[in-house]
Amino acid sequence: MTTGAIPEPSVRNERLRLRIKSIRSFTRRFASRPDGVIGVVVLLIFVSLAIAPDLFVGPLQTATTATGPSLSPPTAANLLGTDELGRDILNLTVHGTRISMVIGFLATIVTILLGALVGIVAGYAGGRIDTFLMRVTDFFLVLPTFVLALILAPIILDLVGADSEFFGIRVTLLVIVVVIGVTSWASTARIIRSQALSVKELAFVGRARVIGSGPGHIMWRHILPNVMNLIVANTVLVFGGSILTETTLSFIGLGDPFAPSWGQVLNAAESAGAMGLGAWWYVVPPSICIVLVVLSFTLVGSALDDVLNPRLRVRR
Amino acid sequence: MGSRYLIRKVVGACLTIFMIVILNFVLFRMMPGSPDRILLRNPNVTADAMAAARIRWGLDKPLIPDQLVDYLESTASGDLGFSFKFHGEPVTDVLAGRIWPTVILFGLGEVLAIIFGLALGAYSGWRRGGPIDYIGNGVSLILYSMPYFVIGILILGVFAIGLHWFPTSGMLTVGGSGDDSFPSQLLDFLGHLALPVTTVAIGLIGQYSILMRSSVIETLGEDYITTARGKGLTSGRILRSHALPNALLPAVTLIAINLGYVIGGAITVEVVFNWPGLGTLTVTALEARDYPVLQGIFLLLSISVVVANLIADLIYGRLDPRVRS
Repeated sequence: MTTGAIPEPSVRNERLRLRIKSIRSFTRRFASRPDGVIGVVVLLIFVSLAIAPDLFVGPLQTATTATGPSLSPPTAANLLGTDELGRDILNLTVHGTRISMVIGFLATIVTILLGALVGIVAGYAGGRIDTFLMRVTDFFLVLPTFVLALILAPIILDLVGADSEFFGIRVTLLVIVVVIGVTSWASTARIIRSQALSVKELAFVGRARVIGSGPGHIMWRHILPNVMNLIVANTVLVFGGSILTETTLSFIGLGDPFAPSWGQVLNAAESAGAMGLGAWWYVVPPSICIVLVVLSFTLVGSALDDVLNPRLRVRR
Repeated sequence: MGSRYLIRKVVGACLTIFMIVILNFVLFRMMPGSPDRILLRNPNVTADAMAAARIRWGLDKPLIPDQLVDYLESTASGDLGFSFKFHGEPVTDVLAGRIWPTVILFGLGEVLAIIFGLALGAYSGWRRGGPIDYIGNGVSLILYSMPYFVIGILILGVFAIGLHWFPTSGMLTVGGSGDDSFPSQLLDFLGHLALPVTTVAIGLIGQYSILMRSSVIETLGEDYITTARGKGLTSGRILRSHALPNALLPAVTLIAINLGYVIGGAITVEVVFNWPGLGTLTVTALEARDYPVLQGIFLLLSISVVVANLIADLIYGRLDPRVRS
């Protein structure tokens, strides 16, 4: 095996060995960040709540299936009390986990796809395309995007009708997903672009171009894998931000009362005047969940950023 | 300051504002309930009446350029249309009554957050790894993870409903506080203002202190700090005359850049405390689907943010000659 073409299996083995090695070193470096590890543990707990809420608290209670008294403080039957309709707050909060997490997840996918696409194309193409895309990006960075989301959401809702369904997901939720995605991709695009700019100058990209690879192929096979570390770290941070935005949009009254996320529960509490009636148990559980989840995403995200971002690693 | 830098920045800001206005136009055309769509719901409207109405509203003209030009003209002259919800009042009048409460609330909240956030961040960065840094960083991260309205609800619950120290909602006591003299009115106003301002400030302090902390840490790694240490300056002197001024610049710019992002979330504070500003107006307009008012709010807020960014850019350019080139 000293001369001639390297046989295919050996290349594959080598690749596998390198991959395992890099995963090992990544795990070791990530494990040395206690804040990141705590974040992962908290997120795993919430993910399991989101996957099977029925297992923990039974099916979601509605106005018709609610059994408890109205606005009862925590008792043995309702560990976290009830809302004005007699629904169990624990039940609502656990089911809210699923809705908040799913909306956050989908919104993150839209944000990252848009941001990565714009960032990679702008960074690789350069020239006029880059100038144009970055102008649009800067525009979205300056814009008070949350206010834009506030206008976009009801317009889209009125256009498609709030009660329709799309692939089994209620349209109100999908609109929130799209609106968050459309208004928050800009900072991702900036981050990815700056990395794509430097990857573009590396030797192997030039070689790929010499052997005749098209721009699409180069961006997909060479640029994307090399900005992946940034995409991963950014995804985690964006996830937390999306949940925060969803919570705020629902609180303002753009959520779906039939699929209560944490923000929607807080919106119901606000319109029922829960705080004025001293019903702290209505407000505190969803608030704590929001803070725990968003904080965990921030911790994991910044730990990942430190571990995966080569520039930060060198500086330390 | 080089006039070329000034012109470039001002032209850039004007372009952005122009794009915002165009975006507003597009949204106007997208939105449901345009005049002729509402007329179509009435079966008794004849085709002639429809056509007449379309001519009166200018809807018979092509979208571009005629309708666009009309729209730009009326927007430039301050005509933003009429509110659906507030008895057909002009949008400009509806907005005008709500601007000052918001400006006072956020102006004061921002100033407090900048002072305390930057001080906390600077100290944490300077004593990196110390107890204040440890606690301050943890608290900042937790605050950063809280939506503004959650902070508001908790503060409201403790200080207004639990302890009865402050009023729960509004800007002035309804029906007057019994005494119409100016000092007691002012006290009443300040009492109502205290909790919302605290909420806005607390919500922002976390972000600003994180920003300032990393900026200070970055600055402390610069060569001129090492030089200053080598010259034998006291650490207090290094902090005051070398590290802080240089760390402050990027932090303040980032604060200005984040303004657009912050403003949206922060308007929810008004909802919690029923503060009669643009935030509560947004929610009222949202519930009534009062699109002209919503668009007016969007236009007003985005233009303010662009202008704030421009001012920050110009100040930055004045203070740091490197960015001008």
